[in-house]
Amino acid sequence: MERLFFDAAALLAILFAGLMVVGRDPVKSVLSLVVSFFALAACYVLLLAPLIAVLQVIVYAGAILVLFLFVLMLLNVGREQPDGARRPIQTVLGSLAVVVFAGLLLGMLRATGTRIPILTEAVGPEGLADPAALARLLFSDYLLHFEAVSVLLLAALVGAFVLARREEAP
Amino acid sequence: MIGSIPLSDVLLVSGALFSIGVAGALLRRNAIQIFLSIELMMNAANLALLGYGAALGTHQGQIIVFFVIAIAAAEAAVGLAIFVALFRHTETIDVNKINLLKW
Amino acid sequence: MTVLDWVIVALRVVLPALILPAFVIPLVWVERRVAAFIQDRPGPNRVGPFGLMQSPADILKLFTKEDTVPASADKFLFLLAPGLAVLAALSTFAIVPFGPTLNIAGHSIPMIGADLSIGLLYVFAIEGIAVYSIVLAGWSSNDKFALMGGIRSSAQIISYELAMSTAAAGVVLAAGSFRLTDIVVMQQGGHHILPFLPRWNVFPQFFGFLVFFISAFAETNRLPFDLPEAEAELVAGYHTEYSAMRFGSYFLAEYINVIVASAMTATLYFGGWSLPGYHPHGIVGGVVSLCVLAAKTAFFVLVFIWVRWTLPRFRYDQLMKLGWKALLPLALANLLWVAGLEMYRLAR
Repeated sequence: MERLFFDAAALLAILFAGLMVVGRDPVKSVLSLVVSFFALAACYVLLLAPLIAVLQVIVYAGAILVLFLFVLMLLNVGREQPDGARRPIQTVLGSLAVVVFAGLLLGMLRATGTRIPILTEAVGPEGLADPAALARLLFSDYLLHFEAVSVLLLAALVGAFVLARREEAP
Repeated sequence: MIGSIPLSDVLLVSGALFSIGVAGALLRRNAIQIFLSIELMMNAANLALLGYGAALGTHQGQIIVFFVIAIAAAEAAVGLAIFVALFRHTETIDVNKINLLKW
Repeated sequence: MTVLDWVIVALRVVLPALILPAFVIPLVWVERRVAAFIQDRPGPNRVGPFGLMQSPADILKLFTKEDTVPASADKFLFLLAPGLAVLAALSTFAIVPFGPTLNIAGHSIPMIGADLSIGLLYVFAIEGIAVYSIVLAGWSSNDKFALMGGIRSSAQIISYELAMSTAAAGVVLAAGSFRLTDIVVMQQGGHHILPFLPRWNVFPQFFGFLVFFISAFAETNRLPFDLPEAEAELVAGYHTEYSAMRFGSYFLAEYINVIVASAMTATLYFGGWSLPGYHPHGIVGGVVSLCVLAAKTAFFVLVFIWVRWTLPRFRYDQLMKLGWKALLPLALANLLWVAGLEMYRLAR
């Protein structure tokens, strides 16, 4: 039954990702991606990663995409205008590239019959889905990575602040 | 009892999402939507990583995805700051029109 | 899973979702009477005995008012936003435990909607949906006051969410688990140093409790943090263009948020459903635990109401300054303090 849920959530994610790419209005695109990310979070839970799923919702759907929405709304970005000088070359070559790429990717990704364990088995102390086990790893084996990422976040914070600041009159 | 989600399902979905992201990044002219397609590609990679992590019974998939989400947040913040600064200058978000460095 | 198991699961999930809005009706009356009492006036006392029928009358009015949708509004988002607000408000209650795990006739019934392994983080995830409901309301109304109110309100919520989650991280650190059931179980029994006090989290983490409670005011858009919907400044903020029952939905969502925030405060810092020295058994134990949680929640709701009608409103820059420069450092200091306590406890 987990497969049914996973397929349903994955289908929803793909559908709304498609809507995001095709949509003309940037706000609608962002909102379609939000729904897609919620569906992906459901997929993550079924892949025995509930902590990552909830982090995906908090960080990705709940912070990054809200930031996108803020920028769109504050700058009053309009709909994408149909360009006068149409570039058929770009569309044709781009579509060709996508088709070739997708074909290669999907052809390459056929794995063996490995299956994913069910959630109810893996939840439990030290199971795959236990947040405490992940946290223990983060602060022991991956401590350097953790600290490096926090420095990176600080750098991004300062950088974003400097970049988006209005130029002050001297 | 062995689980019921085959890994190939997960990889198929991940590949499809990634291809949709590539299509968005190549075929859109709106800078915001290109950026969104890139975020979608990162999520497709996350899905594949988690799929392998669960199938091989290791925590490493989740750890990598944890860091990818954090780094994506940092990148989104800086990217949007660049976008805001650019928009103030050029008043357009059509990437075809941002061509001052063209020969 | 037998049919009975499914019925029990359905009851655990659906009953709180039905009962919470039912509690909002008397809550509105309580708010108006307490407000009147604080302001030295009678309050609604004409409609029914002691004015008790005032709330049903108001709801009837809201249902029968004309429902306008602005012509230039984005219709789909405009209609979606109030629904999202109510959805988010009701969903948050799923992880609050209202009793111990009952053992009735061989069935083990946890008195909680969903005992997630990532319990507390789920609340912050649901807040993301609440932010969207406000931002979408502001944007889709196609009205500059609504947009300003929407953006201000969501920026406020995101800022105070940081302080709130850092304060809650102190509780999680002390309990060693995200599950709210574990957090409540940890708070049972007497204090180790001062045995007449219960082992509630508020005593070691008083500043964490303060930060959490003040942030809860900001998260629920209640005074003194309700500038985004202030009548004098912004017409009505993000719900300017909403009338009749759509406005009623936002109203309902706000009161449910108040109840849930009070329940969360009671669970995280004041022992939730547990009473020091009482070990609940069977159905009677379950009912008593429920009443204990209800009493604690009611106390905090009264504090919400009391503060609303006593304190003046914060200006927006004062609000942001408080959240980032005062509450967040205080929450971080609290986290360090809890970490120190844990190390001391482990070293003994």
